[in-house]
Amino acid sequence: MEKIIEILINGLSTGAIYALLALGFVLIFKSTGIINFAQGELAMVGAFVCYSFAMLMNLPYILAVLIALVIGALLGSVVDLLFFRRMVGEPMFSTIMVTVGLASIVTCISGIIWGHDVHSIQSPFTDKTVAMGNLVISQGTLYTIGLSIVLIILFILFFNRSLLGIAMKGTAEDPDTAGLMGVNVKKVHMLAWAIGTMVAVLAGIFLAEQSFVRLSMSHTGIKAMAAAILGGMESIGGAILGGVIIGVVEGLAANYLSGMELGDFHFGDIKDVAAFAIMIIVLMIRPHGIFGKEKVERV
Amino acid sequence: MGGNFKVSYREDMALFQTLWVKVWLSILILLLLLAPYLLSRYQLSILIEMGIAVIGALGLNLLTGYTGQISLGHGAFLAIGAYTSGLLTGKLGLPFFLSLPLSGLMAAGLGLIVGIPSLRLKGLYLALGTLAFGFIVEYILFHWDLTQGDMGMAVKRARLGDFVIKTEKAYFYFVMIFAAGAAICAKNLVRSKIGRCFVAIRDRDIAAEAMGIPLAKYKIMAFGISAFYGGIAGCLMAHYQRWIVPGSFDISLSIAYIAMIILGGLGTILGSVLGAILITGIPHWITYLTDVFKESYPALSGLIVDFKLGIFGLIIVLTLLFEPQGLFGIYRRVRLYWKTWPYKY
Repeated sequence: MEKIIEILINGLSTGAIYALLALGFVLIFKSTGIINFAQGELAMVGAFVCYSFAMLMNLPYILAVLIALVIGALLGSVVDLLFFRRMVGEPMFSTIMVTVGLASIVTCISGIIWGHDVHSIQSPFTDKTVAMGNLVISQGTLYTIGLSIVLIILFILFFNRSLLGIAMKGTAEDPDTAGLMGVNVKKVHMLAWAIGTMVAVLAGIFLAEQSFVRLSMSHTGIKAMAAAILGGMESIGGAILGGVIIGVVEGLAANYLSGMELGDFHFGDIKDVAAFAIMIIVLMIRPHGIFGKEKVERV
Repeated sequence: MGGNFKVSYREDMALFQTLWVKVWLSILILLLLLAPYLLSRYQLSILIEMGIAVIGALGLNLLTGYTGQISLGHGAFLAIGAYTSGLLTGKLGLPFFLSLPLSGLMAAGLGLIVGIPSLRLKGLYLALGTLAFGFIVEYILFHWDLTQGDMGMAVKRARLGDFVIKTEKAYFYFVMIFAAGAAICAKNLVRSKIGRCFVAIRDRDIAAEAMGIPLAKYKIMAFGISAFYGGIAGCLMAHYQRWIVPGSFDISLSIAYIAMIILGGLGTILGSVLGAILITGIPHWITYLTDVFKESYPALSGLIVDFKLGIFGLIIVLTLLFEPQGLFGIYRRVRLYWKTWPYKY
């Protein structure tokens, strides 16, 4: 019983990271209409920046996180300025492919700067645990879950209550009309990229807390996309639920399925493809996700 | 506009539209025939790689460029072709002339299965679905004893009857015949009813359906044909390298193929060929350049792997931003400019 609860809580904290990444993803999609395949790569850059400041320059952890967040916001604005400002209104194929290209550029530059080694960040939560009865849970896990919940609530409030959030929603719906209504579309797009990247950076730092900092952590971005799809691209609530489902399923798969053999097939690290398998099944049954609405298309 | 008017349907349907196209093609064929006698083994091996890439890129362009279905998992179809042929010739002892079409058919069969969700999915969803398919194929190859995971698998030499294709020269001719055949088939396909249906689906699928084109049939057909091309390319690659590992068919291969068709020009046959040649050539160019500077900067040679993917990404982004029609668009503009020179039109 304890084992299951432990798996669930760990799955929940992985899920919280996926949910955060998916949130940044939905945020950019909701306001610019661009699907960002480079979300995981941006998270990786954030983790590497935090690592550089915290471990290589020996700055306090909190300060390193803040610097990483600021750099993330700058990076997001630069990306918008360089690539996506002129892509507004282009067909979806082009925008998707530009983000895919951006992902490989970011990976390439990070590989050159930080190399292919595996690093870890020493944070105030490292190796500290909380014991509850027979349960032993690391502090980092709890902080990840707690902070994610706070951030998610803030985002929901932001989108539904604040003027800027509503302007973002309007811009996604129809950039031209939003512009005519007095919304500064360019500014809104840039802000969406900045905030979206900041969220990604935070998710990357949480992820580094749970495992390591390395180039391949960018694959998490695709899993987060699976989470966003699972919930339906349009909905923040859906992204969160999708993230949690995928995190928990991964935890269960890692504990009960890895190491199993089926004939001459080894399951091995099945955790890594569980998310994709779920996603394909969901796409086949309910292509627009759990909360997504089917779009009516004009011919 | 250039004065190339057609007065009969026969002319409009012609495979090679003008005399000059025929002349240039004969020069190209002559050069290819002579190439093994003029080039070194290394240069020949690059040409073989390019020929294989042309086949794969044609397949992806039929799906993405002509039918408008995004596929981020083209590398997986190459993997399926490579492993199918490797296993058939290695474990079952099937002759190569049977395993080659079978590997294409195997890939096509799986392509049809991937194509089924495409009936409901579009754009982003399809991109993610095919991406996930690529990851799952890679995962299966890594964890199946039959394919020996990341240890890799040895593949026999290609042989036709008693003739073993041993030398680079023989394999070069062999691959070139297939590449030319693939290009002609693709060119023929796109001017037929099927090709026109593909284009109609790309331009507006709902309208195409309203015009009486069965979407399901043609979308799935596009996936099947594209995967078939991929499978054949994978099979040729496997028998050329004679050692295959799952890692060489990962997402970066799919991105390389996407870079090929975007750089060359979406929805053009010539574009796929040009793109495949350039994108395959670029890593060799980088190797060549880093070799020159290796003396002074020894750290450079380790960076080549990073550079490759980054440069492909940069090519995709820059092409889409500044020349969305790719090299073919530039070619068309230049041709029009000289045709009407010194007038504007």
